[in-house]
Amino acid sequence: MAERRRPAVSAALSGLTLAALVVLVFALPRALPGDPLAALDDPTSGVAITDPELRERVLAHYGLDQPLPEQFAGYVGGLATGDLGWSIARNAPVSGLVAAHLPWTLLLMGPALLLSTAASYVLGILAAWHRGRTGDRVALVGLTALRAIPEYVLATLLLIAFAVLLPVLPVGGARTPFAEHGSGLAALADVGAHLVLPLATLTLSLTATLFLLQRHTVVAVLGADHMLLAEAKGLPLRRRQFVHAGRSALLPLLTAVGLQVAFAAQGAVFVEAVFAYPGMGSLLLEAVAARDYPVLEGAFLVLALVVLAVNLLVDLAARWVDPRSAAS
Amino acid sequence: MSLASAPVLDLAGLTVTYPGPPPVRAVDDLDLRLAPGRCLGVLGESGSGKTSLAKALLGLLPEARVEGRLRLAGRDLAGLDEAGWQAVRWRRLALVPQSTASLHPALSIGAQIAEPLRVHEGLARGEASARAAAALEDVGLGAAALERTPEELSGGQRRLALLAMALVLDPEVVVLDEPTAGLDLLSRARVLALLGRIRAAGTALLLITHDLDALRGLADDVAVLYRGWLAERGPAARVLDDPRAPFTWGLANAVPTLGDVKDLRGIRGAPPEPGEVVQGCPFLERCTQAVAACEQRRPPLVAPEGEDGARLVACARGGRVPVLRARGLAKAYRPRRGGRRRGEVAAVDDVSLEVGEGEAVGLVGPTGAGKSTLGQLLVRLVEPDAGSVELEGRDLLAARGADLAALRRRAQLLFQDPYEALSPRLSVAEAVREPLDVAGVGTPAERDAEVAGVLAEVRLPSSPAFAERRAHELSGGQLQRVALARALVLRPKLLVADESVAMLDPSEQTKLLALLRDLQVERGMAMVVVSHDLAVVLRVADRVVVLDEGRIVEEATGAELLAAPQHPLTAELLAAAGRPGALLGERSLARQAR
Repeated sequence: MAERRRPAVSAALSGLTLAALVVLVFALPRALPGDPLAALDDPTSGVAITDPELRERVLAHYGLDQPLPEQFAGYVGGLATGDLGWSIARNAPVSGLVAAHLPWTLLLMGPALLLSTAASYVLGILAAWHRGRTGDRVALVGLTALRAIPEYVLATLLLIAFAVLLPVLPVGGARTPFAEHGSGLAALADVGAHLVLPLATLTLSLTATLFLLQRHTVVAVLGADHMLLAEAKGLPLRRRQFVHAGRSALLPLLTAVGLQVAFAAQGAVFVEAVFAYPGMGSLLLEAVAARDYPVLEGAFLVLALVVLAVNLLVDLAARWVDPRSAAS
Repeated sequence: MSLASAPVLDLAGLTVTYPGPPPVRAVDDLDLRLAPGRCLGVLGESGSGKTSLAKALLGLLPEARVEGRLRLAGRDLAGLDEAGWQAVRWRRLALVPQSTASLHPALSIGAQIAEPLRVHEGLARGEASARAAAALEDVGLGAAALERTPEELSGGQRRLALLAMALVLDPEVVVLDEPTAGLDLLSRARVLALLGRIRAAGTALLLITHDLDALRGLADDVAVLYRGWLAERGPAARVLDDPRAPFTWGLANAVPTLGDVKDLRGIRGAPPEPGEVVQGCPFLERCTQAVAACEQRRPPLVAPEGEDGARLVACARGGRVPVLRARGLAKAYRPRRGGRRRGEVAAVDDVSLEVGEGEAVGLVGPTGAGKSTLGQLLVRLVEPDAGSVELEGRDLLAARGADLAALRRRAQLLFQDPYEALSPRLSVAEAVREPLDVAGVGTPAERDAEVAGVLAEVRLPSSPAFAERRAHELSGGQLQRVALARALVLRPKLLVADESVAMLDPSEQTKLLALLRDLQVERGMAMVVVSHDLAVVLRVADRVVVLDEGRIVEEATGAELLAAPQHPLTAELLAAAGRPGALLGERSLARQAR
């Protein structure tokens, strides 16, 4: 069992992570080939600037004429005052863009993590309990196969199946454009319908990994002495499965969920792209295409902070689940 | 049988078979009964099927085939469905498992003890918790343990928590699997007292344990399991204090007890592998008194000869057999001077002695008490004036000719001074081979092999150079071993050792005593150890006979002698042996001085 750290050490480590994150978030977009003003150089783009003096002024306006250390200092200075910068491509504040896109991603990621955790908890226990039987084998083979399929392929398959061949769900977006909903409830239902496919994709791909782990842990727990005693105590089956076996497996599962958060964020980006879901993924994708450094920086930073925050929540949950992990 | 003693638990022909390959019969045709308010002890080695028995009682063996009758308060449990078992488990029949890992590692002790109350009795959280606290107080752990997790408790405390958990629903039967293992003596005493109380309140206890002392204090009846098979069953006092099945005897000798200075002995060999199908007696390979009949079929449970049937033993020979049975032996020396008889000196006067298979009896007494004479009478080195000696059921004194020669080979004497006992002209090999030559056993090559084997058995070098040595070239310890090899080469059933370690230094003494004990475990022979030194005798002997002026003045186990010597002479001997606080002896010495 992983040793849990003391709060002070934990905070120091989080600080270091954050610092590294800020550097990476600044450096990575700049390591990409091209730059935000490439379009201005392209004579076919329609916004090409041929006047070198004007070009210099545009560069200076965005601070791109300065050496990298100074750009970094400016960036960090902005961060310190809560300013994420100004989008070059969209000509809008980055914080505003993130604020518009982040809720959709959270709406996708949060439920996907909760649902996949719950599903793998239950399925893992049931499969382990009936290990070797048909149900277990189907789940094992099916979810192992699912694990091998990238999210965007799965998303495309689901899209074709349920939005094209069997058009019961919307093809993309988060809301029906220009629709007037009679009530808030109808609007909510519309959001829900748009959420189904992206959420299903992300949940399924997260469940695949967690299920395998959960099944494995529970199989190991089944032979434990305390499981025999639980049966000797005449406890009902469900209680033995979901309280006694499940409780033992919950800590490893939660640890794995913590590790999965980053994958969930990454998965969300791909899934959003396929379903044209207006979350952080779509924002990032556009920003990458436009080499929109400030947006890339801001979006990456916020996503990374989300991952750290969720990890912290999982850590707290683990402490609550198993007092042993808080002891040391 | 009256209603009051109707068994709450009634097993008949209970058999548990784990499917193979090869199929393993963990519990084999077991008949047990347990009445309310009684305690049945189940004794056995590890792997003897005790845990399978406990699991079968709770229907926890879905992987095995359970056959036979299994009744709880008159109702058949065999064939119960899952719901039926759930109604029996814990409410009527609870378990204290052996493993302290049986507590859930992530749940608090309180939650785990309260769980049966909430599930079976539907109590609310607060009420269940209060009952759990009370249960923890009862076992002496205290309500503070409620909030702890098993990790925060010691092994002994976890055992107490498991006990509290088993008692929380007040079941009719509690199955306890090694409840005292790993407990300090104070906790152990507290647990035993608690078990005594709940037994007195009418709960039936099935106590599976190695702890013989616990069984002595708590069990009404004891059943001895060997390889899932009942070797002996009966009232606790009889089974534990006078075991008759060879296995029970061996087990009893292997258990350390307080107040006993006797060295422990194991049982030779190991039980058959699980899954091995045994035709005859399962204990056959490890038994030192096995005969051809033991290989034929499994012995049924029968009452030993001369008993009322309260105790049953499964042994084709009716239990441990007496090797030596001497009755009313008397020997007087009549000093003759010029044919004129003067006052007779009674060296041995009406002595009866029995030594069983694998048993060591110590003969102690002051010089001139008749110890050596008695030893010589037992092997018929001296003819008695009166009495009888039976060796393996045959009359030693009536035997003549070839019969006598064959019987003599079965009883050997080891003298005090090996230098006198061994001819200085013979080499080691010759001295050891001589008895074989005289008896005409086997071919010369076989005799040489036998000699090499027995020399190795007494842990002497087997090099040819050593075998060629003569008596004066050997140390005292080596000489005594050669003498021992010479005595053992004919595979005797009785060995009388007359002051055999007296001439050796303490280290050699210790080694020779340990060797004698090991040889006894391997060969199962009966031993009579004659010594003036009570300390030596207490180490080796299962039973001590105190002789004074040719008569037996006291006969008891070593523990009994140490605790409460009955005869003043015994007390004196204890005092002389450096037993501190043997006041009786000191007083009597003081008396003599006056």
